[in-house]
Amino acid sequence: MEKNTTIKFLILICLLIVACFLSLFFGGSEPINFGELSSNNFIFWHIRFPKTITAIIAGCTLSVSGLILQIIFRNPLAGPFVLGISSGASLMVAISILAGSALHLFSVFFIGKAFIVLSAITGSLLITFLILGISKKVNSNVVLLLIGLMLSQICGAVQTALEYFSDANSLKSFVIWGMGSLANTTNFDLLIYLPIALISMLALLFFVKPLNALLLGENYAQNVGINFKSSRFYLILISSLLTGLTTAFCGPIAFIGTAVPILSRMVFKSSKQHLHVASCLLIGSIILLLSDALANSAISNISLPINMITTFIGAPLVIYLMFKNKTW
Amino acid sequence: MDKKECIVLKDATLGYKKTNASISILKHLNLTFYSGDFVGVVGVNGVGKSTLLKSLCGLLPVLEGEIFIDEQPISKLLLNELAKKIAIVLTEKIGGFNLTAYDAVAAGQMPYTNSFNRLEKENRLIIDQAIKICGITAHQHKLLNELSDGLFQKTIIAKALAQQTPIMLLDEPSAFLDYASKHDLFILLRKLADEENKCVLASSHDLDLLLKYCNKLLVISTTSIELISVSEAKTNKVFLEIGGGFI
Repeated sequence: MEKNTTIKFLILICLLIVACFLSLFFGGSEPINFGELSSNNFIFWHIRFPKTITAIIAGCTLSVSGLILQIIFRNPLAGPFVLGISSGASLMVAISILAGSALHLFSVFFIGKAFIVLSAITGSLLITFLILGISKKVNSNVVLLLIGLMLSQICGAVQTALEYFSDANSLKSFVIWGMGSLANTTNFDLLIYLPIALISMLALLFFVKPLNALLLGENYAQNVGINFKSSRFYLILISSLLTGLTTAFCGPIAFIGTAVPILSRMVFKSSKQHLHVASCLLIGSIILLLSDALANSAISNISLPINMITTFIGAPLVIYLMFKNKTW
Repeated sequence: MDKKECIVLKDATLGYKKTNASISILKHLNLTFYSGDFVGVVGVNGVGKSTLLKSLCGLLPVLEGEIFIDEQPISKLLLNELAKKIAIVLTEKIGGFNLTAYDAVAAGQMPYTNSFNRLEKENRLIIDQAIKICGITAHQHKLLNELSDGLFQKTIIAKALAQQTPIMLLDEPSAFLDYASKHDLFILLRKLADEENKCVLASSHDLDLLLKYCNKLLVISTTSIELISVSEAKTNKVFLEIGGGFI
């Protein structure tokens, strides 16, 4: 590794530590002092701590998922949110919450959670394969994004219709979930969330070479000995798993998946994807932690929706890149 | 140098496979290409030159019959083995994602690297050599999408060289090059066939260059396909037709 790269990674790790600190101590309606920190501080251990860990996992999973999508579609602006994949996951969750409450599935906590997670993953898989099929017919990056946004709108419309017919309880739980929040994950949830996220991201290690080869396009990838069809299938599986998982626990979170890989390519002028996977993990965590701290402390006593902050970071970046028409 | 049968087509029908039908473009081909051959592939646009080249390296399926690479049927070869036998230069543009010229050439060594794509010293030596042979040393750290068409073409040829294959296929490699670069390119391909005993197939519309540097021509028309030696070209009716009376 070059000296420069090492320094940049060290800086990112320092930033991550600072961001963790900010999220833990300032990421709520009241800052917590070090002095108040004891093992029985309920707010710290049962609210702030799971929220910070959730921010880290969500940042990692969405960024890596976005990185995979950008390479598969060879579209530097792709991401789970802009391609409608998050919305697909949301729709499936809406359906499962409605069906679940009708079938009384949620009386047993674990089954209910597992059901939601599975449906979110199914939803993101369905949309990803749909988008993949569409991408064969269009050869413009921007048109693909527009189709993604339309798919997202369609999922949203169906969801609204479902909400209209749902009872008050499931409507409430769904609307809150749909706004996207890092604060709904309990320590117990983390026991499901963290291991699955870790395993999916470790599985990505086996696909670093295909990721690098796919940068050259499918034909050249195959000509240098990569089975792009099977690698692409597994990469989509990993990406959908990561997006679906995070959407199940946090709701749809905007633009992280698009913005972080772009930032990573701006920071590290390299095309080596193992490096970008690592830096996406760091940058994704940092941005979501900072967004969380900002959302909770920008205006005192008011906690802003996390999506508002991430959109303010992500959307201008996408517009900027479209203007520059530069392929990062 | 001894001539070896590199590519043998036995009653091969080539084309595309769609979901419910296959479209044959070139039917029942029987051809043999030897090592040390520099074959120019000629034909008007849309006659199936790209289809042939893509089928020979497994990017398109063989619809009927069989293609043998080094005496093994192409359908039985693993992708990674095939990658060590045939390198292709396509017409498609690639770039973005911080890809530099060096990265593209380095991809040629992918069949030889471990599953983390780690470049060892011997890999780097081969990559550097390919870069040097193609004359892009001064540009190797530039971004792919900032290269001129000529330099881009040379980079992709360097990638194919770095793949160290006995067979090289090139789809219209001279299309975007200036006059001198075209000659440079064909001289290089001739040298690869002569000195490294490679079997080189290049499609091109630069008929005069093909006549000057190739030793064989594959003349494709909608009704026929024949492999002739360059000396026969001036008397070949189909070739003269493709030349449109300007040869």
